[in-house]
Amino acid sequence: MENLLEVKNLSVSFQSGAGEVQAVRDVSFTLKRGEILAVVGESGCGKSVLCKCIMKLLPASASIKNGSIIVCGQDITNYKERDMQKIRGKTFSMIFQDPMTSLNPTIKIGQQIAEAILVHEKKITKEQVYQRVIDLMELVGIEQPHERFHLYPYNFSGGMRQRSVMAIALASNPDILFADEPTTALDVTIQAQILDLLREVQEKLGTATILVSHDLGVVARAADRVAVMYAGKIVEIGMAEEIYYDPRHPYTWGLMRSLPAFSKGKDSLYTIPGMPPTLVNPPKGDAYACRNEYALGIDYEEMPPMFRITDTHYAATWLLDERAPKIIPPVGGKSFA
Amino acid sequence: MRKEILVDVKNLTHQFHLTKKAVIRAVDDVSFQIFKGEIFGLVGESGSGKSTVARCLMNIYEPSAGSIQYRGIDICDKREFQKNKQMLQTRRQIIFQDSTSSLNQRMKVADIISEPMKIHHITPPRGSYRKEAEFQMKYVGLDESFLDRYPSEMSGGQRQRVAIARALSMEPEFLVADEPIASLDVSIQAQVINLFRHLQQEHGFTFLFIAHDLAMVEYLCDRVGVMYHGRMVELAPAKELFSNPLHGYTKTLLSAIPIPDPVRERKRKLLVYDGADFGKGELKEVSPDHFVLQRSEGGYTGEKA
Repeated sequence: MENLLEVKNLSVSFQSGAGEVQAVRDVSFTLKRGEILAVVGESGCGKSVLCKCIMKLLPASASIKNGSIIVCGQDITNYKERDMQKIRGKTFSMIFQDPMTSLNPTIKIGQQIAEAILVHEKKITKEQVYQRVIDLMELVGIEQPHERFHLYPYNFSGGMRQRSVMAIALASNPDILFADEPTTALDVTIQAQILDLLREVQEKLGTATILVSHDLGVVARAADRVAVMYAGKIVEIGMAEEIYYDPRHPYTWGLMRSLPAFSKGKDSLYTIPGMPPTLVNPPKGDAYACRNEYALGIDYEEMPPMFRITDTHYAATWLLDERAPKIIPPVGGKSFA
Repeated sequence: MRKEILVDVKNLTHQFHLTKKAVIRAVDDVSFQIFKGEIFGLVGESGSGKSTVARCLMNIYEPSAGSIQYRGIDICDKREFQKNKQMLQTRRQIIFQDSTSSLNQRMKVADIISEPMKIHHITPPRGSYRKEAEFQMKYVGLDESFLDRYPSEMSGGQRQRVAIARALSMEPEFLVADEPIASLDVSIQAQVINLFRHLQQEHGFTFLFIAHDLAMVEYLCDRVGVMYHGRMVELAPAKELFSNPLHGYTKTLLSAIPIPDPVRERKRKLLVYDGADFGKGELKEVSPDHFVLQRSEGGYTGEKA
């Protein structure tokens, strides 16, 4: 399969009053056509910045310090806004975290979806637009589309609004869909349906998806591959099976252990101690070291490189070095109840 | 011993009038009890009326019909409410889902936490409002250095703890938590849930915990009520409900809990509840403490799902 998106050694910084915030640090990954890559991590780890950086939606205070972004063989790292507008929508499209703020409260839902269609297809009749809007609304699971066409966002529940946002994002048949926490505001039944919908869309249209989430439990359903981010870096990346059955990075262990499925029948849920570091002056060594009960001395001194476990599975932790002590991971294997 | 009823909701109905003609029954004939010292979970999809129930319990909405008794006081009756206003307004507290909008962005954390005491003219038992705020901060596991910060300088989990600290400053006995963890990271959700557990076990708080994350509900709650389209369809102890769901909608909900295991997760079939045979019926006890909405002619509504 060809690489649709290739990100190489990308670093993004923000200028703020406190100094330079290194939101994304030396991130590399590829995305193949028709694949769903999940990016998982705590808030503030740079997941959203990474997506917005690829789409060039970051504010002026942000700048790409290093690295390159290659989409369909074209290097778009230095594209100006005018060039980006040509490829946004057709090449990539985004679903934002908060459906309340990404819809216009004063325009009817149907018209907002129609607007997204009209931007990309100028020569289209009114009836065709209406039919496409109805099709899109049905695709994303909005029942009674004919009646709901004329409703306003405030008439919709959170889940329905997110579906409308998805309809808008899919209006132009994008190659890559960025879904930034699309299910966080939804309840479980709808959440699973939206994840299935992402898969369905991917199978039907061949859309590659980058699914951003903080919940490893959620992405298991949809993701082909999973990347775990911490403090602006990808600390582990691999096929979904490899990440869930054979996680290698202590942070991945921590994320897994804080899921309630892992604490069934225990008195308290596992929590990762401490807070993520500020990215103004990130620590010299492994950023996770001070929260890591398995931290080695070298973790505080030197940044671990990406160790190769299999051809698809990489993790950045000194525990994988051949000199490191052997540790039995607290999670892994098919032990989930 | 646990059978002391704290909140008794009977035939609660709440309607929203959209226009003169269109009426939405957000809550339709819901009855349940919350016992003292338990965590009662309320689950259901968005729009099923969970939050409306919570708001009725807190006197934010006035129910269209039915009664809510808190310690035997009918809180929907204006005269009785006025008589017990101080007690009702301090002993019951609510925590909202979105800490960004429920905390005043222009107030410092110390002022946010002590504001309810100022409103109710309560003399701070620990000397000063500041000391009171310090105490509450420690209680929810936040550092004192946050007292002079603004909410925007804190993370979502820390803000949610400030909201909890503010609710606790009134020394309530009944806390309504309306999706308190929905907007938080998984690792921080665990911190808040652990705090709730601690409050219940060590300090005897009673909770109404509203959530759509069923895995957390199963872990935290003692009893769970399932709502669908404004009606309570099933009510049972958490263990019983999760091991033996009877109503079609409950089964659908449970089938949607994500499993952190890609192979099993992808094979997992989602049940769909169409609600076709969902209609009038009554909540009947099928086994001890396990109630299911049943049709008057027999059989569970939504049995086929």
